[in-house]
Order: sequence, then C-alpha cells, then structure tokens
Amino acid sequence: MAPAHRCGVDVREATIAELVVAARAGDRGAFTGLYQRFHRVVHAVALARVPACDAGDVVQDAFADAWAKLGRLREPAAFGGWILAIARNRATDAARRPRPADVAADLAVDPPPRAEAAAALRAIRELPDTYRETLVMRLVEGLTGPEIAAHTGMSPDSVRVHLHRGMKLLRERLGGEGGQR
Amino acid sequence: MSDYLFDKTGDDRDVAELEALLGDYAHRAPLRDPPPRRPRWRTAAAGAGVLAVAAAATALWLWRRGDDGCPAAGSGFAFAVEGGPARCAGSAATRGTLPVGAWLETSDRAVADVRIADIGSLTVYGDSRVRLVDTGAAGHRLELARGKLSARVVAPPRLFVVDTPVASAVDLGCAYELAVDGDGRTRLRVTSGAVSLEGHGLTAYAPMNTEVLAAPGRGPGTPVALTAPPALRDAVARFDAGDPAALAALVAAAGSGDTVTLWNLLSRTRGADRAAVVARLDALSPLPPTVHADAVRAGDPAAIEAWRDALDDRWICPDCYRKR
Repeated sequence: MAPAHRCGVDVREATIAELVVAARAGDRGAFTGLYQRFHRVVHAVALARVPACDAGDVVQDAFADAWAKLGRLREPAAFGGWILAIARNRATDAARRPRPADVAADLAVDPPPRAEAAAALRAIRELPDTYRETLVMRLVEGLTGPEIAAHTGMSPDSVRVHLHRGMKLLRERLGGEGGQR
Repeated sequence: MSDYLFDKTGDDRDVAELEALLGDYAHRAPLRDPPPRRPRWRTAAAGAGVLAVAAAATALWLWRRGDDGCPAAGSGFAFAVEGGPARCAGSAATRGTLPVGAWLETSDRAVADVRIADIGSLTVYGDSRVRLVDTGAAGHRLELARGKLSARVVAPPRLFVVDTPVASAVDLGCAYELAVDGDGRTRLRVTSGAVSLEGHGLTAYAPMNTEVLAAPGRGPGTPVALTAPPALRDAVARFDAGDPAALAALVAAAGSGDTVTLWNLLSRTRGADRAAVVARLDALSPLPPTVHADAVRAGDPAAIEAWRDALDDRWICPDCYRKR
C-alpha cells in the first residue's frame, strides 16, 4: 500500500499554471504562491479605483473569490487576467459604498502617508482608465514595465505607451514638470 | 536607450520622486486565510442542470458533425498541440477534447498539452501515441503505447494511472516522465513526489530523483537513483535480467545515495540474499526502533513498509515539499 505523500509544488519555481492546478486540488501553499506573485497588481487595480483604506480589503476579497471559484478557471495560465477581472469587479462594488472624501480615506491607512502622496494618488485616479492601473503598478507597487506586462498579459510595448502617455497627463495635472510638490 | 519609467534604467527625477512619495501605499499585507470552499456536492447540484443541457447539446453537435475526429468540447481531457501536426481519433487536430477510447497521436515535432481533469496536466512529446482509457471521480487512466510524456499531478495517491505495454505507472504525486520505445520497453523518471510502477506481479517504488526500467516479459525492474554509479546500474541491470549472482555486486556497489534500490530489493529477494540487503541497508540507514530486523528478513510487508516510511524523509526533499 502506497503512503499518502508529501507533495506540493515548489512555489518559487512553479509556473502560474502549475500553481493554479495545485491550488485547485486544495493546495493552500500553492494558492499563497499565487497571492505572492499577484497581490501587488491586484492592489494596484483596487487602488486605481477605491480609497487606500478600502484597497486592502478588495485585495483580500478578490483572492477569497478566486479561491472559491478556481475550479471555473478554464485555462490555468490565464490566472493573471482572471484575478484582475475579479479585482475590478470587487473594486467597482467597493467604490459604490458611501465613504469619506477621497483624501481623508487615502490618509486613513497605517502608516499614514504624506498629504502630497494622497494628492498624487487622487490625480492618478482622475486619469483615463487606460492609464491609471499601469501607473499605480509602476509608481506605487514599484513594478517595472516588463513585470507589468508579464502579470497583466499586455504586451511590453502597450505597457510602455500607457506609462508614458499616463505620465504625461499626470505631470500636467500635477502642475507641470516635477509638479507633484 | 534608457527609459527609467519603463524599466528603471537611466534617470528620471520626477518619476523617482513620485515613486518615493507613493511607495507608502505599496501593498505588503499577507494573504488572509481563505474560507473553506463550498462542498463539491452543492456545486455539482447547482451545475447539474447546466451540465445536462451542455451534454445534450454536445451529443447533438457530435451526431450532426458525423466524422471520426475529436470534439471541441465535452467529456474527456482537453488538449492543445503546437510545433507540428497531430491526430485525434484519426483526424487532424490542433486542439479539442480527447474522449474516452480515442487516441491522440503526435508527429515527430508536435508537442501536446493535455489537461488531466482538474488534477494536473500532461505534456505529450513528439511521435507519441496516447489513449484515454477512463476518466471519472474514481480515477483517470491513460495508455501510452509509444513515445514520451511528462505528468504533473496534485491529487490523492493512485488517482491517476498511465498504462504502457509492459507496466502501469501509478501516480502517488507529483511529477514524472514516462517513455516507451518501439518494443514497449518503458522508462520512468520521477522528478518530484513518488510513483509506483507495477506489472507482472512486481511493484517498483520510485521516489523523486530515481528512475526505473520495465522490459517486455518481466515487468518493472529495480529503481536506481539518477546519481547511481555505473557499477550499481550495471549490477541492477544484470539482477533484473535474472542473474542472481549480480546481487553481491549490487550490494557492494550501493552507497548512501542508493537506499531506494536496496529498499526495493527487500521484496525481490529472499533468504540469505534478503539478509544481505537488510544488513547493507541497515548500515547505510539504520532501521527505525519500531521496525524489527527479523521481521524484515522474514519478508513481513508491514515491516518493510514501515522502513520505507522512515526512509521517505530522506528520499523526498523535506525542504521543498510539505506533508499532505
């Protein structure tokens, strides 16, 4: 009789598809691996839509949804696009809830950021949808363009265009070159 | 040309200042424990109606389609082929669903990715011939008549089996390669977890970083570590081919990395031969206190398995894989 085996994917080495397959079979370690790879882009999607005090909850809700519905994901390698779609829906729901003014809600996080940071974040949120997610991924989460492309499924060229066009608009809103101050 | 905004090469003072300012918002929180999933029966009940309609529609589509190819969807294993032509149920196919009973055949340059229900995936390499024998809640079974595949499975032990002309590879979790040549000769190489290769009344227990051969007419041989020295491999080949005199050379050549080979020999030897194997294995990895050497020498299956359970901690990387 064969023993029940210690068996799991190496979360550092596994592909996204392997992590999804393992998580779907109930491997919470693999799901944590997916979280480690995607939580920053999911947070960026949330932060581009809702105040900072809600964005963390959107991340956790999106991953809880993903855990419950992982069996419905037809193509394991498409996890990135799928979890981002869940996060957008969750963030849209959260944005409908009554909240204090944006600036106050963006300062109600721990540790509290500087007021200039809240103002810059609000300026990003006022940009067209196309640009704000990629800018938050780049400027808040610190991802490079190639990393954003790998996580979102966009082409590197598209990411580059979104970043530069978005940054140009952001500079204008913040009052010209280097005008975030 | 440097582009700090895109790839952080070069300089851009504005972007760097915004990064420093907005970095306070970066997400660092760990994952909260996700809630338990809905019991499968509830999901199944909720989806039963939808499935019934889908099955009827698929059946109608197949009936109207009227050829011998594989359906685009429905019951079976989904697959996609790249790199060259492939045939499913006799017709050219690049993607679709391999139904029970149908063969998937790859040309020499084709590679097929195959989903094993919801428990894993397969890569079927070029010039291979694979048939889905059965799939269901009780398990999934394939036949590899020729060629090579690699499997990655996360599921309870013995839920996924691949038959070859001379043996059956029973997955105990997690990943392995299986190759069959034109004579049916089978080579199993385990890359993580463990696999049981079974046939002709023999069982070879192959944990990660070991391989085992199975030949026509005699079933699975004795597993060897991928790092096994040539002298040991040669002795194993002779022993598996029926040369009992090879055992002494095998035991003498076995080092601390060859305990898998010695353990498997416990159920392939008897009498003085088994005693010699026990002595060598005990010298390399002492018997756990709960296992009696006399019981192992007598061939007691429970004692032999208990020794394996202790050895498993060494065979299967404890740093990489968690206990289920």
